[in-house]
Amino acid sequence: MTSNLSLEQSIDTVLQKTEKDILLNLKNSSIKSKETLDNSLSTLEGEFDKIISDGNKEADKIGKQIIGSADLEARNKQLMALEEGVNKVFSKALDEITNTARSGDYSNLIKSLLDESTKILGTTEVIVSTNTKDKDLVQSTLSQFPGSELSSELIDCLGGVMIKSKDGTTSFDNTLDARIERLKPLIRKEIASQFGVGN
Amino acid sequence: MAAQGKIVWVSGPAVRADGMSEAKMYETVSVGNSKLVGEVIRLTGDVAFIQVYESTSGLKPGEPVVGTGNPLSVLLGPGIIGQLYDGIQRPLRELSKQSGSFIGRGITTTPVDMTKKWHFVPTVSNGDEVSAGSVIGTVKESELIDHSIMVPPMHKGGIISNMVSEGDYDLETVLATTEKDGQNIELKMYHKWPVRKPRPIKSRYDPTVPLITGQRVIDTFFPIAKGGTGSIPGAFGTGKTVTLHQIAKWADSQVVVYIGCGERGNEMTEVLVEFPHLKDPRSGKPLMDRTVLVANTSNMPVAAREASIYTGVTIAEYYRDMGKDVVLVADSTSRWAEALREMSGRLEEMPAEEGYPSYLASRLAEFYERAGRVRTIGSPDRDGSVTLIGAVSPSGGDFTEPVTTHTMRFIKTFWALDAKLAYSRHYPSINWMNSYSGYLGDIAKWWSANISEDWFDVRGQAYAILQREDTLKEIVRLLGPEALPDEEKIILEVARMIKIGLLQQNSFDDVDTFCSPEKQYKLMKLLVDFYNKGQQAIKEGTPLSDIRAMSVITLILKARMDIKDSEMPKLDQLATKMDEEFKEISGVKVSN
Amino acid sequence: MTAEGGVQYSKIAEIKGPLVVVDDVDNAAFDELVEIETTEGERRLGKVLEVGHGKAIVQVFEGTSGLSIAGTKAKFVGKVMEMPVSKEVLGRVFDGLGRPKDGLPDPIADKFIDINGEPMNPEQREYPKDFIQTGVSVIDGMMTLVRGQKLPIFSGSGMSHNLLAAQIAKQASVVGTDDDFAVVFAAIGVQYSEAEFFRRSLEESGALKRSVLFLNTADDPAIERIITPRVALTVAEYLAFELGMHVLVIMTDMTNYAEALREISAAREEVPGRKGYPGYLYTDLSTIYERAGKLNGRKGSVTQIPILSMPSDDITHPIPDLTGYITEGQIVLGRDLFRQGVYPPINILMSLSRLMKDGIGEGSTREDHSEVANQVYDAYSRAQEVRALAGIVGKAGLTGIDLKYMDVGDVFEKEFLTQATDENRTIEETLAILWKIVSKLPKNEITKIKDKYVDKYYQGD
Repeated sequence: MTSNLSLEQSIDTVLQKTEKDILLNLKNSSIKSKETLDNSLSTLEGEFDKIISDGNKEADKIGKQIIGSADLEARNKQLMALEEGVNKVFSKALDEITNTARSGDYSNLIKSLLDESTKILGTTEVIVSTNTKDKDLVQSTLSQFPGSELSSELIDCLGGVMIKSKDGTTSFDNTLDARIERLKPLIRKEIASQFGVGN
Repeated sequence: MAAQGKIVWVSGPAVRADGMSEAKMYETVSVGNSKLVGEVIRLTGDVAFIQVYESTSGLKPGEPVVGTGNPLSVLLGPGIIGQLYDGIQRPLRELSKQSGSFIGRGITTTPVDMTKKWHFVPTVSNGDEVSAGSVIGTVKESELIDHSIMVPPMHKGGIISNMVSEGDYDLETVLATTEKDGQNIELKMYHKWPVRKPRPIKSRYDPTVPLITGQRVIDTFFPIAKGGTGSIPGAFGTGKTVTLHQIAKWADSQVVVYIGCGERGNEMTEVLVEFPHLKDPRSGKPLMDRTVLVANTSNMPVAAREASIYTGVTIAEYYRDMGKDVVLVADSTSRWAEALREMSGRLEEMPAEEGYPSYLASRLAEFYERAGRVRTIGSPDRDGSVTLIGAVSPSGGDFTEPVTTHTMRFIKTFWALDAKLAYSRHYPSINWMNSYSGYLGDIAKWWSANISEDWFDVRGQAYAILQREDTLKEIVRLLGPEALPDEEKIILEVARMIKIGLLQQNSFDDVDTFCSPEKQYKLMKLLVDFYNKGQQAIKEGTPLSDIRAMSVITLILKARMDIKDSEMPKLDQLATKMDEEFKEISGVKVSN
Repeated sequence: MTAEGGVQYSKIAEIKGPLVVVDDVDNAAFDELVEIETTEGERRLGKVLEVGHGKAIVQVFEGTSGLSIAGTKAKFVGKVMEMPVSKEVLGRVFDGLGRPKDGLPDPIADKFIDINGEPMNPEQREYPKDFIQTGVSVIDGMMTLVRGQKLPIFSGSGMSHNLLAAQIAKQASVVGTDDDFAVVFAAIGVQYSEAEFFRRSLEESGALKRSVLFLNTADDPAIERIITPRVALTVAEYLAFELGMHVLVIMTDMTNYAEALREISAAREEVPGRKGYPGYLYTDLSTIYERAGKLNGRKGSVTQIPILSMPSDDITHPIPDLTGYITEGQIVLGRDLFRQGVYPPINILMSLSRLMKDGIGEGSTREDHSEVANQVYDAYSRAQEVRALAGIVGKAGLTGIDLKYMDVGDVFEKEFLTQATDENRTIEETLAILWKIVSKLPKNEITKIKDKYVDKYYQGD
């Protein structure tokens, strides 16, 4: 029995030790897993925060972008609308010019256009071109410009004259179209301000 | 009769006009319908080549050119001090009144306010005989400037009559008349002088008095004399402008003429903003009260840039003639040379090196020749000086380019700025091995008489340490510092201390920005003593590491900022502390 | 605008390179705008470079290819080149000559302004001193940008200058104010992708509506590049000085600009200066860079960040060299740092902001800023020397203090210099890192900082 007893004792000891070990192990692993859990929780929280903040950043960026683009788009539509309005006014004005009666004031206009053109070219020895409508009026005015002749070729324009030196090297476009073209930026500004823009 | 011609050709600032047979070389002319200011620079038949001082944009052949009959001149009289002029003496403040924030064209103004009344005190009386250059009275122009009213230089002199009594007069008032050979000539508070012609003098002196700039590396190592010439070349970023501003601020002259020739606009603005608030260290009065600025910035018309140098130097000579020491700083002569090159190119002249005209060297020589310490003409006897300091902006920092090499022939002090020093923030980045001063021997007497007997000797010792370090650096570069014995390592150590504690100077530090000659000497002496004592200690067996660990080192290195000019005894205390510490470390050695 | 101009000449004497020489001209002005009409009726713009003796030399912006002696006509418009400006140019995209490129109509002009501008009167300038926080530590801390400054980026091919410029444009704001801010971007001969990168990054930050873009890309006419920075700056000046906005102008790449200038000079057979560039390159560049600034009594400012690529990374090349003489400092990118993958790869020793001293300190950044920056410059420069020495004698041959400087170099590059492209650091954060670097050194090495600041901020032992 002694041997049994000692055996039992040994077994008990072993069992006790094992139990302790197991318990300790259990405890340790429980602490460890708790730690791991805690750690991963805080990591997770960090990740979560990061995702949120990245998301916020991205959202902020996209937000800014959307608002910016929307503002810009609205403004651009406005610009297009304004341009359309300006163009309408413009073409109406051109129509009116086309249909102006070729007399009185208009003949003075032709005279002053010729004056100006010949002065700029520095000679009256020029060939003058114009359109069908203004042909007769120009022809009659040319007598005041010695050396000038009317070109037989007609040009397509609203009115006014195009003059050329006889050797063909210099020319000056004083048609109404050219004058309007030169003044177009100013005229556009004028019209736009009628719409209440640009002040 | 004034020439009346017509423009036949325009290309940038260069204009040709025909019908100009009446025109004279260097006559100023009015160009085009907008009456731009120009100057005749070549005549061929009846065609005049004109450089125009304003933008020629929109100018057309056929527009008129009218001669004025006069060469390009400056108006000299009270009211110049404190002004900011463009290259042809138009006051920029007046221009802005007429054309706003940007410089318009065809504007005419007078260089000074002709209606302002000045308090005139006569110094001669009716019946006195005067000659060209003689002083007839004075005007208090600013807090710092007593302005002498002088008989114009080319005047033939005579007996004074109709002298006004003391009182307030404007510039056009006739102050007196002179009579000679039955001819009467009126004297006013001002006269005009052509800029390209040096004002006459009686005789020249050797420059023996140093110009104290308060900058240690300049005054102590590479000094310039009053009436001397100096050049400061450097690549961009080497601190050229800051150094020049420092000289303009602190130099012990009575008048400073600062020419911004083809440089940055903001630099002139900086001077304008800063100088009225800075006080002259000697008189305590605002620096603006002795300063004249000529600004033709890089984006202003290039021809006026060429003229700005002459405008500036003529003003400098005028104040010299009153018996004053004047410093003229020209930043930058390279931009002036480029203006010459551009005009030369437009005139299709045969180019010399790098496209510069062949007369570049002679023009530089003429300019620097206008420096000097002189006895002026007229009575009473007066001595004055014009010191000329020109910045050079060598392309790519290359000192072999034409403007630098030609300049070196005509100047005696050379402050070589070094990009490597600037990169390591060693300011002023004046390289102590490449710089030189031809005035050292001449001005040494002044230092021994005024500061300390042994100045020349101590300076020599300090410089020798720097020279030794330069040689040793090569060895260190190849083998490392441990290859050197302690008595050579300490040379490196002290050279480093000289660089940090003496050569470097922080112009933005309230104390360090200006250093009196006495403080310069004491700092230098302290460092040289440190070296000698250090060598002695090493000889006696003290390890270098003990010397390196001395707490006095940091104090010596910071003394330039920590100890004010008014606290010289503190430097003596520092010397005592150094002695004690040396005793201590060698004592420790003995007790072991 | 008057009828003074408008004469058309058809006698062409010569066409060479970008130039057209017109004969029998008796009514043309220097600098006048010219419309060239080709045989096919196509119109190109140019300007008069030289006029006289019946000849006018015209520089054609859109190139001369396809022009013929017989069919070409030149119309002298009677005015210099102008840019129409109004508030509505914001959010618009233009080509290199200032014509709309976004499909929208011409801006309705409030004003037409000569693109050459006039020089600012130095007496009317206001000295720039308002700190701009770019959020990039190395710039804010070591080479501070101020409103109205011109501070170029010197880069080399392939380096990250565009990233940096875009980051500055996005982050730049002025502490303590919420004034109007605008960005004007001029692409000068750069690749389309680079221009598009800028446009996109402005869009992403919502800044596009406060931006104006001028695009001359690599495939656009080279001579047009002479005009691109000028139209851009004309708009910038208008926004700044008429509308009171703080305008940041980014121009890239100025090297392409200078090359266009050289092409014209060569065609005119002018005597060349260095490397074939014209002798007036300095003066010409100054008429661009000097348009930065602030004016007395006006609210706005024009700040310029020109970008240029240094041919073969050579800082002594005429383009960076002359630029550096005009601008108020330079930000130099270093190839070594770039290769190591450092962003932004700024070589601080070669970089500098001249206006820094007035933009920092008590009241704008912090009292100790200047001194701590000086100390770090000094320390980093020492670190570079020590690194070179270590290359010879090995790390073992270094003294204790040398090793501390090595450490300073590393911390500087890793923690201060290195920064993410979307990382926006405050000036306080920047200064804190600077002190961290200084604190790696023992106190007796600190010779550039006053004791009172050392006592207050030093964290070493």
